[in-house]
Amino acid sequence: MRFGLFLGCNMPAIRPDVEKAIRSALPAVGVEVVDIEGSACCPAFGTFYSVDEDSALAVNGWNLALAEKLGVDIVVQCGSCYSTLKLGRHKILNGRKEDVNKYLAKVGLRYDGRIDVRHIIDVYRNVVGLDRIRNSLKYSLEDMKVVVQNPCHVLRPSKILGFDDPENPSALKEITEALGAEVPYYERYKQCCGGSGGFSKRDKKANLEFTKKKFDSMKEEVDPDLIVVSCITCLLHLDGVQEEMRNRGMIDYKIPVFDFSQILAICQGKDPDKVARLCITPRDEVIKRILENPL
Amino acid sequence: MKMINLSEERDKSLIDEIIALGGHDLVKCYQCGTCIADCPTGVSDQPLSAKRIIHMIKLGLRERLLEEETPWMCVTCEGCEERCPRGAEPFEIILAVRRWQCKEDETYIPLVLGEIYERGHTQNIVNAKELRRSLDLPELPPTVISKKEYLEKFRKLLKETEIVREYGYIFGIDEE
Repeated sequence: MRFGLFLGCNMPAIRPDVEKAIRSALPAVGVEVVDIEGSACCPAFGTFYSVDEDSALAVNGWNLALAEKLGVDIVVQCGSCYSTLKLGRHKILNGRKEDVNKYLAKVGLRYDGRIDVRHIIDVYRNVVGLDRIRNSLKYSLEDMKVVVQNPCHVLRPSKILGFDDPENPSALKEITEALGAEVPYYERYKQCCGGSGGFSKRDKKANLEFTKKKFDSMKEEVDPDLIVVSCITCLLHLDGVQEEMRNRGMIDYKIPVFDFSQILAICQGKDPDKVARLCITPRDEVIKRILENPL
Repeated sequence: MKMINLSEERDKSLIDEIIALGGHDLVKCYQCGTCIADCPTGVSDQPLSAKRIIHMIKLGLRERLLEEETPWMCVTCEGCEERCPRGAEPFEIILAVRRWQCKEDETYIPLVLGEIYERGHTQNIVNAKELRRSLDLPELPPTVISKKEYLEKFRKLLKETEIVREYGYIFGIDEE
C-alpha cells in the first residue's frame, strides 16, 4: 500500500498538525506515504474553476501528472481537493485529455489516467480495512459518544466520485466505530457543515443559523463527547464557528472537533502535542480521557 | 394536445453562452425546484436558487444575470447535482454562470487566482514555517512552494492558458 499524499493549501498552512497526524497514522496501519513533490493548489472550485475550465483542468493535470510520474494513487484529506481532482480527472479522461496534455507538454509533463485519486476515508475503510485500524491501537474511544461529519465533497456527485452511499454514508462512521466509539444517529447527520465556498463569507448570519441547526441537533439528540471530521474545511468551520456562536449568545456549549487521522494517531499512542495541537474549541479533556484508557 | 414552445421568440444566445461555458445540460431543467429544496444557502435572505438562475438564462435576462451575486454563495456541496431528477447538472450551471460573469465583467474574477500564480497555493504557507518546524515537519511542505524551479515551471504552465494571457495584470505580468 503506497500512496502519494496530496496536501492542498489549508492543511499545510493553517493546520499542519493534521498533516503530522496523517504522516504518523497512515504508516502505523501499513500505508507507505510518499510526497508529490511540486504539487500545487488542486485548484479549488472558487478559484480557476469559477473563471475558466481550461486553466482549472490544466492545474488539475499538473497535480495528477506529478503523481503519475511517481506511479502512485493520490490520497487526500481535504474534501474539495478530492472533489476537484476527481472531477477534473473524470473530465480529462472523457474528452479533454489532449487539451490538457497540450498544456502539460510545455513543462515536460503528461497525464494518461493511470493513477487515480482516493479520499483518505476511502483508503482507511476500503484499502487499510477495519482490522488493521483496530490492530494499530494502544488506546480506544470506549465509553465515548462521537458524531461524525461526512464531507459533502466526497459523496456527490456519487456517479463520478462516490465510494459511499450519498444518502446514507457509513464509511467514516465505521472507521470511527473501529476506534471503540459509539456513533449514534442524529437527525441532521447528513447536513453540510456550511464552511465551504462563499456562504459563510457572504451571509455570516444565515450561515451561523444554518450551522447552529446541526450543532443543536447533535447536542440535543446525542450530546457527543467529540465530533470527528475528515476534511480540513469541516474541521476549521465546526471548530471555529462554535466560538463565534458563543460570542453572539447563540449556543452555550463546546464540542471538541478532531480530524479522524488526529484521533486515530492519538489512539495509536502518538504525541498529541504534535498530531493535535491546534484548535479553537478546547480538546484537552477528550485527549486526557483517551490516554486514561489504554487497551 | 398541442405543445407550446415556451422558448419561441426568445433570445437564445444567453443559453448558448452558458452551455458553451460548461452548463451543457441546462435545457433539461423543468423547474421542479429539487435543487433549492436542500441547498444550505436556503436559510439566507438571498438564497442561491439554481432553478431561478436557470429560468433567468432561458428568458435571456442578461442584465439581471450579470447583477446576480448568489452564484458566489454556493458551498459546492453538490447536493443539487446529485438529486436533480433531470440530470441538468445545476452545479455545473452555477460554475458556468460564474465564468460568464467573469467574461462579461472582469471585476468578478477572484483575486486569489493571482495568489495561486504567485505562490502555487491559496494560502501563504511561508507564514507557517516556525509552526511546522515545531511539529517536526519540514519548514515548507514539499509542494510547489518548496523550490524555485517548481514554481517557475508552474507559472510557465499557467502562462500558456488563455486566462493568464488575457488578464496578465491580475497575475502581476506586465503587458508588453
